[in-house]
Amino acid sequence: MRIASAPDGSIQIDGKVVTALDRFVASVTGIIEQYTRYVIISGYVAILFGRARGTEDIDLYIDYMDRDTFMSFSKDLLEQGFYFLNSDDTSEIYSMLCDRLAVRIAKAGRIIPNIEMKFKKDDFDRYAMSRAKRVQFDDIRFFISPIELQIPYKLYLGSDKDIEDAVYLWMLFRETLDGDLLRSFMERLQVRGEQYGIEV
Amino acid sequence: MELRFNREKNRQERLAFVRRHALWVREVPNEVWSREQADLIDAFFENAENFALSRSEYLRMHRARRRHPETVHG
Repeated sequence: MRIASAPDGSIQIDGKVVTALDRFVASVTGIIEQYTRYVIISGYVAILFGRARGTEDIDLYIDYMDRDTFMSFSKDLLEQGFYFLNSDDTSEIYSMLCDRLAVRIAKAGRIIPNIEMKFKKDDFDRYAMSRAKRVQFDDIRFFISPIELQIPYKLYLGSDKDIEDAVYLWMLFRETLDGDLLRSFMERLQVRGEQYGIEV
Repeated sequence: MELRFNREKNRQERLAFVRRHALWVREVPNEVWSREQADLIDAFFENAENFALSRSEYLRMHRARRRHPETVHG
């Protein structure tokens, strides 16, 4: 894998073949960006860097939006051929977000894949958002959570799939990660990686 | 009836594959790993059009997963 890091910290993956999943995610994040900031977390981060698996949902956090902004965003989303799986009532969708629940966005007529979207809620989400890494390939640009947070987070979630994602990211980036930062997130989330070869 | 499935052995084999695959991705040009990955993901994406669950069934499945969390994250 050839990854170029720009001075501003963004990551360029030249030559990556764009998947239908990448196009779907980009079409939604392109709309979100017009209204608020977002950061992609969890499985799709590993998939972006080559993990050989599919996914039915892509997790992301967004900054808080007031009701009027959210209604404009929803209108735009619906006009561009997407819908909320949870409800056709956008007021109800907004209430769910304010209650710290996730809402799901899919292309009209489809169930999966879908974007699972939440308002950011805790210090980890705030860190991921404030230190989001820009990833670019072809004509696509995404903001993703720092890898130093993603590996401990995946270990914390703890399913077989999550641990495989953590191991994959570690194998790919181990020489370039900030060890102190990774260690601090592992301590804060009270996870250990030695048994999986993740040694910091 | 005896089930001869060794969960831990299976988990270790999967992790070994993930490590080998990551090393391969590191070694080859982006065009190579991403072409293989795109074939897999695009097939999955296309097949998702035939998803068997309705909208309400799908949401019910996720609510049930949250009550018995293996994981709900992608």
